[in-house]
Amino acid sequence: MNPRRWLRAPFDALDALCARAFPPAWNPLAQLGALGWFFFWIVAASGVYLYIFFDTGISHTYQSIEGITHGQWWAGGVLRSLHRYASDALVVVVFVHLLRELAHDRLRGNHWFAWITGLPLLLFVYACGISGYWLVWDTLAQYVAITTTRLLDALPIFGEPIARNFLDQASLSDRFFTLMVFIHIAVPLLMLLFMWVHISRHANSRVNPARGLGVTVLVVLVLLSLLHPALSQAPANLDQVPATLGLDWFFLPAYPLVAQWGGAAVLLAIAGVLLLLGVLPWAPPQRSPPAATVSLPNCNGCGRCFADCPFGAINLVARTDGQPYEQQASVNAAQCVSCGLCVGACPTATPARSAGEFVAGIELPWLPLAQLREQVRQSAAGLKGATRVIVFACDHGAACDRLAGADVAVLKLPCVGMLPPPFIDFILTGRLADGVMLAGCDPGDCYHRLGDRWVEQRIAGKRDPWLRGRIPRSRVAVSWIGPVGRSARARELAAFRASLGGLPPMVRGAKGEPAPATRAAPRAWPRPVQWVGQALLLGALALLVGAYATWPSVRQLAPGEAVVQLAFNYAAKPKIACRPLTPEQMMQLKPNMRRPVDCPRERWPVYVELERNGTIIYRGTHAPTGLWNDGPSSALERFVVPQGHQVLVVRLRDSGRQQGFDYERSITVDLVPQQNFVIEFLGGQGFVFR
Amino acid sequence: MSVIEWREEFSVGLPEVDHEHQELIAAINRLHGEMGSGASAAEVSDRLGEIESAISAHFALEEKSMVALRYDDYAAHKHDHEQLLDEILDIRDGVLETSQYDPAGLSQALTLWFREHFRTHDTRLHHWLVRRS
Repeated sequence: MNPRRWLRAPFDALDALCARAFPPAWNPLAQLGALGWFFFWIVAASGVYLYIFFDTGISHTYQSIEGITHGQWWAGGVLRSLHRYASDALVVVVFVHLLRELAHDRLRGNHWFAWITGLPLLLFVYACGISGYWLVWDTLAQYVAITTTRLLDALPIFGEPIARNFLDQASLSDRFFTLMVFIHIAVPLLMLLFMWVHISRHANSRVNPARGLGVTVLVVLVLLSLLHPALSQAPANLDQVPATLGLDWFFLPAYPLVAQWGGAAVLLAIAGVLLLLGVLPWAPPQRSPPAATVSLPNCNGCGRCFADCPFGAINLVARTDGQPYEQQASVNAAQCVSCGLCVGACPTATPARSAGEFVAGIELPWLPLAQLREQVRQSAAGLKGATRVIVFACDHGAACDRLAGADVAVLKLPCVGMLPPPFIDFILTGRLADGVMLAGCDPGDCYHRLGDRWVEQRIAGKRDPWLRGRIPRSRVAVSWIGPVGRSARARELAAFRASLGGLPPMVRGAKGEPAPATRAAPRAWPRPVQWVGQALLLGALALLVGAYATWPSVRQLAPGEAVVQLAFNYAAKPKIACRPLTPEQMMQLKPNMRRPVDCPRERWPVYVELERNGTIIYRGTHAPTGLWNDGPSSALERFVVPQGHQVLVVRLRDSGRQQGFDYERSITVDLVPQQNFVIEFLGGQGFVFR
Repeated sequence: MSVIEWREEFSVGLPEVDHEHQELIAAINRLHGEMGSGASAAEVSDRLGEIESAISAHFALEEKSMVALRYDDYAAHKHDHEQLLDEILDIRDGVLETSQYDPAGLSQALTLWFREHFRTHDTRLHHWLVRRS
């Protein structure tokens, strides 16, 4: 069974819920991307304000943020909370967006571009969030700093472990912190660039949610910020290890794993997930239906297909066939999803053309309009009764197959927006049927992005090509129902047929009624119930964001435990000692390489062991770094030990000897709970204890 | 025999639009000739269907140019286009339904609205383009 179907079921249920609770224009599931943009701008704007009062020096950072949070809680405090909660909400919508596109299979075929360009955005979102938590410099920031550097140290790119910057309070400096401030400002800008790339193949991209929805979501986040403000945890102190921490599970879910699995395993797991997401568009590859084709004898370059294509797959290019036109339509097959919206927009797609061959300026080669017209004629011929209806059914909405009957014919289209309005004219004025129903998919959430919008506008006479004014709109029904609304579709068809029965006979040339300005969403709850539903759904989002931003806590140490760290970054002795060269030996060398002493660069590895109360708890050999094995060896080992009396002995050899040690030192200490006790080996000083 | 002739004064100054105007005039003249030689109602309605399609495409192109040039009287011009399309469809449906036609009346109706549209809207567009350049 296709795993996408498993994912699809919960989304269909959620879709059905949102379709009832929200007016079509407000449905948040249909504008997850736009909500993501909205949260991004909230975070950016609140971030600019916070930066004004933020002290970028590490010693005053915490105090400056406390000042923002408490000294001006009505502005800085609220904005700080908004900054955090909008970021968490961004993570939520990003993942729902990702899973929903996966469930709807909108990533294979020519959809791959948006999917693949979305993946770096995930990394950017996390880089922004993690660097942001770092900047608060509280105990969580301390945890983030240490765990992030441990993760990065698993990559073989740093000469010495960057986690050493956070060994203890004494090794802390402003430098790394300044880098974080830079990252926290630079990455969002880079992310904005990628957000633009992400949507660049979508015409008429939606980057703003419906205004009402945006305002409501903002109000909900402000309320959350007032009721449950985002606060710092205790100030960071690298000489102590915080036992428990409130963790933001939206941004840091992988961090507790670093302590359990190690940095390399976590990095591999993340890379594996990204790789899996990266190959999904081709697992298996989609057999796309052939792209739309342009018929130059029927194209004058009017540009309507270009204006209506949802995926920017059509360009207007210089004329190539010598006709006295400036331009012609040209389809980029790599971007065309074969939805047919261009066909519905073409002014030559009029079925009244019967003198010669009927070919429109742009057509889907697998569903030519001449064939569609023939299907219309044939199915109409079989219809009987006074309420004969031809249903044009979208492939992605509620299935209409079972609706066919003695007086109902169903014709399938990849998108109802493929149907040129003159076809409706042709059917009704030709008395081929008494009514035409356009049965599309979810309102505001067209599978092909813009089909519902263009159909509504064409029928309302607001977008070319219009459904002609002479067609009575009471004989045209538009039904927008997603895939789960099969019975709702049947009810709408029954209601439409009932209304057709009550109409006077169709009179050609009679002035048609204007289209209703707004169509009631068929499945929506009554208004007051909708308000309650919206409050509950948005409240649930706020609850989710507010709760998991700090809860549940993660425990680093059990009560009564402390930490001992062993660290060094030390170049061991060369393997071969320097030896003087004889004049003969020197003369054998090239003139520019002649030297009196030869010093081979390769060094010994550093062997170190740590003994605690008579038991060896660590033994390790640390190879020298560098391409010629001539760099320093590095170590950063962390041990959780019980509090209390300890006799620690640490030994090291750096000279290649097999027996004995070059350095040894012992200490007797009483460790207090959560203490961070550091043993560092420094060249020239030997072991130091802090 | 022609029922309407292309005249230089019909030119709006956009080469592709003028080209299509000439083609439409040729199509109307051809229909006029066919009606004169006793074409059936079905043949006439087929021909009208082709003319309607050609006019739709032509209007689409002309409207694209007007929008691109920010023509100040676009709304009224567009409204006239839509009315012309309604009328030609009504004429065609009339021929189809009654299976008969009045050749003189039909030719007159077609040429009348052509001339009228040229005289008013297209002339205004032409003058506007000349002023603009």
